[in-house]
Amino acid sequence: MNCYICQNSTEPDTTWATFLVTKSRLICDDCEQLLPTISGPTCPICMKPTHDAKKCPDCHKWSEHFTKDPLKRNISLYRYTPEMKSIMSRFKYRGDYEIIHAFESAIQSTYKTHFSDHQTIIPIPLHPSRQQQRLFNQAEAIVQKLYQPYHTNILARQDNAKQSKKSRYERITSLNPFTITENPPDKILLIDDIYTTGTTLRQAADLLTNYGAKSVESFTLIRS
Amino acid sequence: MHVPPLIEDMARKFSGKLLLKSELNISEQRLNYLIKNGYILEIPSIQTKFTLHKCLRCFNMKPSYFGKIPHHPKPIIYCKQCIQMGRTSTLEPLYQWTGPKPTRHYPKNPLKWRGNLTHLQQRASTQLVKTIQQNDRLLIDAVCGAGKTEMLYEGITHAIQYNKRICLATPRSDVVKELAPRLRRDFPTIHLAALYGGSPEQDINSHLVIATTHQLLRYERSFDVMIVDEVDAFPYHHDKMLPKAVRRATKPDSATIYLTATPRFKQKWLINTNQLPTVSIPARYHGHPLPIPSKQMLFRLTKQLEDGQLPAKITQWIDTKQANRRFLLFVPTITLAEQLATKLDLPYVHAESPERHHLIQQFRTQSISALITTTILERGVTFPSIDVAVIQADHHVFDEAALIQIAGRAGRSAQDPTGDVTFFYEQTTEAVNRATTYAIRKNLEAKGRSS
Ligand SMILES: [Zn+2]
Ligand SMILES: [Zn+2]
Ligand SMILES: [Zn+2]
Repeated sequence: MNCYICQNSTEPDTTWATFLVTKSRLICDDCEQLLPTISGPTCPICMKPTHDAKKCPDCHKWSEHFTKDPLKRNISLYRYTPEMKSIMSRFKYRGDYEIIHAFESAIQSTYKTHFSDHQTIIPIPLHPSRQQQRLFNQAEAIVQKLYQPYHTNILARQDNAKQSKKSRYERITSLNPFTITENPPDKILLIDDIYTTGTTLRQAADLLTNYGAKSVESFTLIRS
Repeated sequence: MHVPPLIEDMARKFSGKLLLKSELNISEQRLNYLIKNGYILEIPSIQTKFTLHKCLRCFNMKPSYFGKIPHHPKPIIYCKQCIQMGRTSTLEPLYQWTGPKPTRHYPKNPLKWRGNLTHLQQRASTQLVKTIQQNDRLLIDAVCGAGKTEMLYEGITHAIQYNKRICLATPRSDVVKELAPRLRRDFPTIHLAALYGGSPEQDINSHLVIATTHQLLRYERSFDVMIVDEVDAFPYHHDKMLPKAVRRATKPDSATIYLTATPRFKQKWLINTNQLPTVSIPARYHGHPLPIPSKQMLFRLTKQLEDGQLPAKITQWIDTKQANRRFLLFVPTITLAEQLATKLDLPYVHAESPERHHLIQQFRTQSISALITTTILERGVTFPSIDVAVIQADHHVFDEAALIQIAGRAGRSAQDPTGDVTFFYEQTTEAVNRATTYAIRKNLEAKGRSS
């Protein structure tokens, strides 16, 4: 077995004991240690690390902006450290799809801890031209690790602009890149790879709420 | 024959290469036109026979180095071994230029350098020119500090004058970055491209390409002269992919020159059986002998280091140096580098350290006087007037070649040709012994040559 992140062998020195007990590992010890899980107090809405566990200034602004924040809360797994940045760049920009396997058990256990089966799972769609280039949607790759039914026919993407190239101000004021293609259910769980400003998720949540969704939460691999 | 300027322009960029669509960087429409009219050939990048895959760019055949992306109607297979250079997959083919060959103008007198070669350098240089003329192969076995680069100048000049395209491939990007400015200075009128991962430069039908060995994977039948530097070094030696890449990147009629300071078994065998013509340079350009490593066997060294202690012998060595000499301290692992850095309050570098280039530059310009390093500074990079010590020289990362190279860091400048090299270890290894006898043997050989 080779580590899905660094390609080095994940096999510990094999003895009969390890051979019988441990199942094949997806990630080596070195990489495991590099993965920066979020710990300590965080904002209860967006999971940004804070020192007092109170709602962060950004989330206060969102509440003001929408009167009622359409995103109930976000749960993330990892911080966006330089190591995580390079892993994500290999995953998304180089297109090394199988890196997602390394996060499988973490994704599953976090989902079980924080979310319920009553929520309809929707991965944030990728623009078709991007999808064509990358040959996969990273949000869908995460969703597939849950082995749960999910929906790709409720939310669609319309905008061509590259979100990551815009400034924060431009992102917030830009037109909503999503459209609704089918009436949304009551409880929704949005999935994306990374929460940066929270704009993308709120644009989707806002639209879904306007079309009748009662509660929208999100699960992202990374809180930047 | 008249070639439209647009086609000529693309011939210059694409000829002799194997590129991905993203590297061609042209519109879908234009690409289709070029394919339809026979200018570009699309070839699959992943070949599948039964259930086994092969990446045609990097020659990878290891099943564990292929990945699968879910897709309809069947999954996409991609290669992980060369993904750093852009993804090859069953849906992402390679493109090969099949249109007219590009033309190239070449300067009559490209060399600006007016230095002199030593007697030994001149012998190698003459041999090199002959090898290029005859499209032959040659191994140049030169000690560290022999003045390899200058020795190549006559050959490079000759090749350019005969409109031959040259590639100088080296395993390390540090070496590409060090060599490119020197060659630009000494060959100011030629087109030169310096290529490594993340390099901003492009090879548009250059006279001379200086590249890391991995960059060769983008070439096919492109070079008339291939010079492979540090042929014994990682990753060339360990990796079967790179000899294949070297062969593919050269034209059928071409010259290949291998440079090494530590010919290992296979090359030695080739020399011994006369299969590869060899020229040896046992002396440094300044004529002074190689420093002979001093061996310091320390009882319980590993245990002491594990306990966070530094044996008195090592502390003494460092203290004496700190007073009056610049030095490099080689250690086998990043962890030990970190530990010693904290303990001794010295900067350290390793392959992944973000300030790597900055610190190397500072050490070069003498704004810092000591540096702890892993094997990344073992070769290629030169600093004048330094001493070196290897801590845990018996560690497996320090093989014979590594120790010879490390010892070769000392005494490089003519003004200060002697340098102290000390190996600290607990158990004598073959590598430690061989690296020591190597210096003695080469010095004897050099004496024999000059008399
Ligand atoms: Zn790993
Ligand atoms: Zn918040
Ligand atoms: Zn490959």
